[in-house]
Amino acid sequence: MATESPAVPSGPAAPSFPIARHAFRRFYTNYTARTVLQAIVTIWAVITFTFFLIRLMPGNPVEVYVDFLVNQQNMTYDEAYSRAASQFRFDPNVSLVTQYVEYMGQLLRGDLGLSITSSGTRVIDQIARFLPWTIFSVGLGLLISFTLGVILGTIMAYKRNTAIDHALSFLASVLSAVPNYIWGLFIILVLGVQLNLFSVGGLRGNYDPSLQPGFTLEFIGSVLKHAFLPVLIYVIGSIGGWMLNMRNSTVSTLGEDYVNVARARGLTSSRILLAYVGRNAALPMFTLLAINIGFIIGGSVIIEELFVYKGIGSFLFWSITQRDYTSMQGVFLIITISVVVSNLLADLLYSRLDPRVRVSGGK
Amino acid sequence: MASIPYDLGGRSVRFTSNALSSGGVFFRALRRNRAGLIGFIGLMIYAVWILIAPRLIPFDDNVRLDQIASPPGSRLMLVTRADDAARYTTLDDLQGRTVGVLGNTSGEAMVEPYEEQGAFTVETERFSNGRGIPDLLEMLAEGEVDAIILFSDSVKEYLTSNTDAGQNEQFANLTVANAALGPPYLLGTDTQGRDIFSHIIHGGTTLIATALAAGLMSTLIAVMLGSLAALLGGVVDNALTAFANLVLTIPSFPLLVVLASLIRLDNPLLLALLIAALSWPVLMRAVRSQVLSLRERDYVEAAFALDLGLRHIVLREILPNMMSFVAINFIFAVTKAMYDQVGLIFLGMVPINDYTWGVMLYFGRSRGTLFSPDSASMVLSPVLAIAMFQVSLVLFARSLEEMFDPRLRTAKSPGT
Repeated sequence: MATESPAVPSGPAAPSFPIARHAFRRFYTNYTARTVLQAIVTIWAVITFTFFLIRLMPGNPVEVYVDFLVNQQNMTYDEAYSRAASQFRFDPNVSLVTQYVEYMGQLLRGDLGLSITSSGTRVIDQIARFLPWTIFSVGLGLLISFTLGVILGTIMAYKRNTAIDHALSFLASVLSAVPNYIWGLFIILVLGVQLNLFSVGGLRGNYDPSLQPGFTLEFIGSVLKHAFLPVLIYVIGSIGGWMLNMRNSTVSTLGEDYVNVARARGLTSSRILLAYVGRNAALPMFTLLAINIGFIIGGSVIIEELFVYKGIGSFLFWSITQRDYTSMQGVFLIITISVVVSNLLADLLYSRLDPRVRVSGGK
Repeated sequence: MASIPYDLGGRSVRFTSNALSSGGVFFRALRRNRAGLIGFIGLMIYAVWILIAPRLIPFDDNVRLDQIASPPGSRLMLVTRADDAARYTTLDDLQGRTVGVLGNTSGEAMVEPYEEQGAFTVETERFSNGRGIPDLLEMLAEGEVDAIILFSDSVKEYLTSNTDAGQNEQFANLTVANAALGPPYLLGTDTQGRDIFSHIIHGGTTLIATALAAGLMSTLIAVMLGSLAALLGGVVDNALTAFANLVLTIPSFPLLVVLASLIRLDNPLLLALLIAALSWPVLMRAVRSQVLSLRERDYVEAAFALDLGLRHIVLREILPNMMSFVAINFIFAVTKAMYDQVGLIFLGMVPINDYTWGVMLYFGRSRGTLFSPDSASMVLSPVLAIAMFQVSLVLFARSLEEMFDPRLRTAKSPGT
């Protein structure tokens, strides 16, 4: 994020507080401090934005439930309303600002609040229940596609303008062009339903419900089996991007003078590949990796809905349809934090991997 | 996912707009690039597909009972007396006859349009206490109705596994037919017996128009804000960059889902605007760094020195020199918009006004045809239509990229 922008904004001219201004400027020009501050401000802004956005949505949870009671159980509106209000810990008549202040106070104490629709359940418990599955499936998918993509991209760059390069480029373009859920539908239809390679219904959920969760071989096997399709889709959906980016990055690295010099010095090609080309070409990939984590968590909404995989994405979709404000808010917070933190990590990782950034950043 | 941002930042893009406008160079380059040619031809096919084909092939909205390619076990079963079996093979043969159906089932609703058109008289037997089917069969055996229309295999089971000897004798001369009746359709039929091919022909226009509009708006916003940030610098630059980073931090698809339930998206243009409003930041940052590098060129500095005005500098000096870059990213923005749009429709977050490929996917999943081998076409056809459109766009964009970026095209391995 903040790798450039040499122009530090000069604070407002306030000659009466020269010391405070000086302190602020010293703090702000410190790279790490500034990055962390920006991250915190970003998270706060997103929380505030989503808080008001979510509560502006038509139909609050009480109304949804009142509708249900009136239509399905033939209650009068007043009866239904008092029942709904007592059942849900949510009063739609409290002003938004009061709700906001209350919520921020809760957050500062590390409390995400209670779920509105499933009374008595803490949002943090819900997230703790669903998030690991998404991290597991998305993380595994990302790891596989990143590794494979970087390897294949390097091969493409070394064999550039040959038949292998053209074929792999074509493949990568096709893989990355088609939306991942379209791949998901295609695989369900062709491999699952037509060729009967797996039972679509049997792979719903995160593991075989008849098994006891635990560190047994059977259970782990079931978990892997159920995660197979989502992971496959995450790999298919993102590998093309890694391949093409790594190829282009490696091609431009191969043209650098230091690679020529290394060749002239007679270094072995494997040493040139690992120590000179690979390291430099893979650098930009790490930034992309961080950016992609956010995109993939966002994309997991459809994939998890499609495969009925109970992760944070399908939980978010469920809470949106139920208008469960606190759950929605909690999930958004978690997703935002994961994006911000991964961006932060990418910055720090980048400066560790690339000494050039470290030197200029330390000035 | 086509969302990995394109980092062409800082690279020089030399010959651009004149190459785009002079078709000769363009086509010669395209002929050398086979993948690009495939993409280009694909896009031409889609242009004909969405602009001309819908005028030639009418949208099929006629519910046809005898054409349903829905899950096996819920397609039409025609039960007749054995002597009539040869006479009543299609629904047309039942013109003016009395037909028995089970009441309170989805089958009844499907028969209704036929009765309203006066095709045949319907005798309804209530589906109660498990007596619906035997009662209907008795009516048929006694000649009260001429045929029975059912939408389940249970009638076959009833005829084969019935233990009541008296009934078995009575029903012995009944026959059940479930062959797909009538002329075949190119891509088969959907859950209501309508021609999928006509839906595929008509289903792309709105989707593609919306995706193009969203891509265009997103590109416009990105180019405007990116050039402003780079040229004005200072506070404007900082504010715009911070804003872009903020929007980039919020995962756009979940936010779109929330917004889709907040705003009634029955207008495709509104949907396009919403998608554009969340997808500009990646390109905006790329444009910003492009403009930052272009700003250092002599001719731009000359324009500044001559005080030609920001509008002139952006539109006349800078934009033409990154036209290819913008065009390529416009195409990627269109694919991203298609992803978002179809994803929203697939989740059922957009009101259904138009029977698009996305809506076909939505119905395919919600009506269960996704999971049955006999009705794959209803989902597979739009899946292929969307996939091929995206592939054409991306192949074309990537070939443009190779054409315009000399480094990707001609980088020869030094030495060997």
